[in-house]
Amino acid sequence: MASRSREFLTGCRDELPLQFGCIPFGLLYGIAAINAGISPWLAQLGSAIVFAGASQLVIVQMLTAGAAALPIGTTSSVINLRHLLYSASVAPYVRHLSRPWRLLLAYLLTDEAYAVAILRYQKSAVNAPASTDEPTDPPPSQDFRHWYFLGCGFTLWFFWQLSSAIGIFFGATIPPEWDIDFAVPLTFIALLALLMRQQGAATTAVVAGLAALAFASLPYKLGLVVAIMLGLFAGVWASKKTQATNRE
Amino acid sequence: MSDTELLVLMLVVGGITFLYRYAMIGLFAHRELPHWLARLCQFVAPASFAALIASTLFVTGHDVHVDMSSPKLWAACVAGLVAWKTGNVLATIATGMVILYALKWLLSANLF
Repeated sequence: MASRSREFLTGCRDELPLQFGCIPFGLLYGIAAINAGISPWLAQLGSAIVFAGASQLVIVQMLTAGAAALPIGTTSSVINLRHLLYSASVAPYVRHLSRPWRLLLAYLLTDEAYAVAILRYQKSAVNAPASTDEPTDPPPSQDFRHWYFLGCGFTLWFFWQLSSAIGIFFGATIPPEWDIDFAVPLTFIALLALLMRQQGAATTAVVAGLAALAFASLPYKLGLVVAIMLGLFAGVWASKKTQATNRE
Repeated sequence: MSDTELLVLMLVVGGITFLYRYAMIGLFAHRELPHWLARLCQFVAPASFAALIASTLFVTGHDVHVDMSSPKLWAACVAGLVAWKTGNVLATIATGMVILYALKWLLSANLF
């Protein structure tokens, strides 16, 4: 039992530094949601139901821009597709767990929780006895690393709900002239710049950006959905082309 | 959009998001993620962010409208530069907001 609680608490502790990055976005989401006219209870419930920062900011941003439910739903769901990669990445380590455990960890599988938990899994594999070439994981009966994962996920969940609540609480007192919601596109700009190092990302961004303007006249902001799709295809095409050139 | 519609929207988005997260550890626990899908996933974030940024800065209603005197446009450009140079998300937001406030103050003071 001791090593279960130790793993859980270590997970909580290791996740703490990431809260400096997470809390401002929770506050921003809360404030922007209230400014967009969302009821406080619904804004808070959104943080529990969706539990994905970028996606929640997209919902708020598109609501403000007057988009309809279909394009908002499509865009804010598509943006979370990356979680499929995280799911695939942790799968070998959590496959053996019971269904309730896997459901719980899946709910908590966010960017920040993944980033910390996967390091714990990979590190313990590297620290295996030097006699084996292949990294070995502890036998399932002694493997309590999912408690560490739970600690990471729980900590992030707690601070996300708390910071959303504080943002929602103060949202109404912040005058719209302060343009706090402009921090949402600024966040997207910062995240996009970080992604630019990835091969093919520049092509994706240019095509998606231009297409968003070219299809701006489509009703209900559906142009955004078209733009994202075209950007995706452009990125895949560009990365295939570079791979083909590298092979020659 | 009414509260009920928005609640349904959040439930749908939350449900889909949960399915992504559960897919490879639950639904398809003993299968590999197809290569093409993994590749597609990598481009979702840049495509979405670029489309949203372009739309926020240059689209009003259904019209493309480039307003060179808009403080938000210049604030976004400077923020983009900071993001590119530092890779720091909070510094990018802070710079963007400061430039926006400064430009709006200058405009309201009629210095131009």
